[in-house]
Parts: sequence; C-alpha cells; structure tokens
Amino acid sequence: MKHWGILPCNGLDKPVGQLAREIALNLAQDQSKTLACPVLLHSAPSVYAKTKEETQWVVLDGCNTRCASKLAAEMGFSVGKKINVTKLVEKENLNLGHSLRLGPEELALAQRSAAELAAALPSTRTEGEEEAAVVRDEKAAGETDLDFPASLTYTEFRQDKFRFRVPEGEFFFNENDCWVWVRGTRARVGVSDYVQQSLSDILFFSPPEVGAEVEQFGVLGTLESSKAVFEVIAPVAGRVLRVNEELEGSPERVNENPYEQGWIAEVELTDWEADRELLLDAQQYLTYLKNKVADFHV
Amino acid sequence: MSESTFMGVPRAKISWAPVIDYAKCTFCLECDKFCPHKVYEVNREERRLIVAHPEHCVVFCRACSKTCGPDALSFPNKAEVTERIKALRKEGA
Ligand code: SF4
Ligand code: SF4
Repeated sequence: MKHWGILPCNGLDKPVGQLAREIALNLAQDQSKTLACPVLLHSAPSVYAKTKEETQWVVLDGCNTRCASKLAAEMGFSVGKKINVTKLVEKENLNLGHSLRLGPEELALAQRSAAELAAALPSTRTEGEEEAAVVRDEKAAGETDLDFPASLTYTEFRQDKFRFRVPEGEFFFNENDCWVWVRGTRARVGVSDYVQQSLSDILFFSPPEVGAEVEQFGVLGTLESSKAVFEVIAPVAGRVLRVNEELEGSPERVNENPYEQGWIAEVELTDWEADRELLLDAQQYLTYLKNKVADFHV
Repeated sequence: MSESTFMGVPRAKISWAPVIDYAKCTFCLECDKFCPHKVYEVNREERRLIVAHPEHCVVFCRACSKTCGPDALSFPNKAEVTERIKALRKEGA
C-alpha cells in the first residue's frame, strides 16, 4: 500500500518558499506522511530510494522555477498532488512583502491550505482496492455515450528520432496542437503527438474543473514535464462534462497515445459551427505539422 | 520558413506576445533560455531583457511565463485576440 510523502521546495530565500515550507510542516504533522528534504534528496538520492517506491508525493513549489517539481521528475517520483504557492497567494489576494519571516496571516493560510490539501488527498488504496478500481474505471470509460471509435488509424511521419501520428477521420485541430472529435453537441478533446514529444515524459496533469465554461482557445487544464508546463488550448468552446481521470494517476498515458487513452476532457459544445471555422481538418493539420517540425527541432 | 500566418491571418496583424514587468524581472533569463522561437533579446550592458520579435511568439502560447519565478510576464486577453482574428478573417474574405 502506498502512502503519502511531501516534497517542498527548499524555499529559504523567498517569502513564497517560506510559505511552501510552512505548508509542508503543517502537512507533516500527520506522522503517516514522509517529509523529504529537497537538498538531501538532491545530493544523496539513495537515502530516499526505499521510500520512493512506496510513496505518492505531494509536491509544493514556491515559485514558477518549480524546483520541487523538477526534482521530483529527475528522481522519478510518482506525483499525486501538487500546488504552486505563487498561484495560491495570488488567489488569496495576499501580499507577502519582502520579509522572510511569515506573519500571522501567512501562518493561518499555511495551516488552512495544508488542511485543505490533506482533505483532498485520496486515501491510499490497498492493492486489492486498486484492482477493483481499475475494473471500475474501465467500465466507467466504456460508459460514454460519445461513441468514440474503439480504434483509430493514423498517418505518421518521422523527424529525427521522433514519430508523429495524426489520426484519420473526424478530427479537427487548432494551431496550438490540440484536437477535438465531435459527435452531435458533445466533443472529446486532447493534445497531439507534437505536444507529448515536446514535453517528453509527462509527470503531472491538472484537469479542468468539471462544469466549468471554457471559451475557444481558453485553457482546458495543463500538462507538465520536467521541461515545461503546457496549457491545453481548447479547440472548442463549451462546458466541461468529464475529464480523463485516469490521467491523474497515470499522466504517461498522454505520452503513450494522446488520441486514445491519453484524451483530456469531454465538453458540451456551445457553438461548434463558429468554432469549426478556426480549426484545421486532419489533412491540413498534417501539412501544418510537417512544416512546423521541419522548421523547428523538438 | 517561419510561420507567417495564424488561422489564415497574417501573423504580423495579431498582437500576441509577452509583456515584461520590469519592476518584477530579475534578469534571470529563464524565459529566454526556454523559448525556442527567438522572441527575446538580451541587452547585457543594461541588464535588460527585450521582447524584440513579438511576431515570432506563438499565438496563445504562454509557456515561458511558467518558467518565470517572480511572475513578471503577462499576455494579452485571449478573447479579445480571438475576436480580432475573426474580424481580420472577415475582412480578408
Ligand atoms: S524569467 Fe522572468 S525574471 Fe527571468 S528574465 Fe524572464 S521575465 Fe525576467
Ligand atoms: S509565449 Fe511561448 S512562443 Fe511566446 S515567447 Fe513565451 S515561450 Fe516563446
């Protein structure tokens, strides 16, 4: 059975970093969680070799440099949850100022967000439960009335060591390398091979909120690797009906196949006719993609 | 060949590029290191980063801002840019 570990950024030299540490300390009061020291992990990874196998990590980044995330990627940690404290502070409309000592307001925020974070951690599953969950998830995945094809055929080409697939059939793309497959007033959305190749190993998926209204070219979640954070740019406007929950535990599915098991979300369309005008069909996208990769090495 | 059109509209007519808040920028150059599209230029004497080629920036991309520790990069409003693209397409048609 896996348990939770906490990997914060070191955070000594910035107020947001101090806050990340404080959240980590609050989380670590629950003794069942392992608190990792990022500096020790970096210089002596073997100390955590055993823990690593049994642990799902909560990663706490202070700022967008994402030191903790990058470290988790480098160490091959399985990341179950993460927060970016800069974003959190922004959301709270809090001005941290320049002092490295946290004030009462910040300490309260640290306590509150640690409690929220702890409550949001799915209780860890035993192996038996995991198997049951897989069966259930597979069933759930089959229960879509979207009628997405069970298998796809692809046109593919290579550039250097990279393989790029473009699915044949009723797929449409935006120039930000995201696809949509439409049936009636509903659609499934995902990213193309170009995205997963440029990111390389995807470590984390932040899903869009179910029920959220998204504009065309708005953001439908993010994918994150050690190289970059990619915003999934909505090819269509609509309301999020469902997200691919499988990706939260296994974001590598996007690397394996971003058109099939690596899809991102399903939406109820707002105005497909209007959206369609700004999209490429599969053939046009193939031409566009060939030019793009010839131009610019991943 | 660099992409000179976006959604059928000349790229030069679409204003989409990062805006640097110099009050926040620490000149760490993470964003410049990250972006492969030669959008930025570095003025070493003045220790100043410049958005020298906004037209190279990929419309709707904001990836470099996610590497910026002090959160010094911002972008235009997407909905407005989309409206502008639609209007330009109509004019062209
Ligand atoms: S990453 Fe941010 S702080 Fe660093 S040079 Fe770019 S804009 Fe400035
Ligand atoms: S938004 Fe994207 S293309 Fe534009 S400068 Fe940043 S990384 Fe480069």
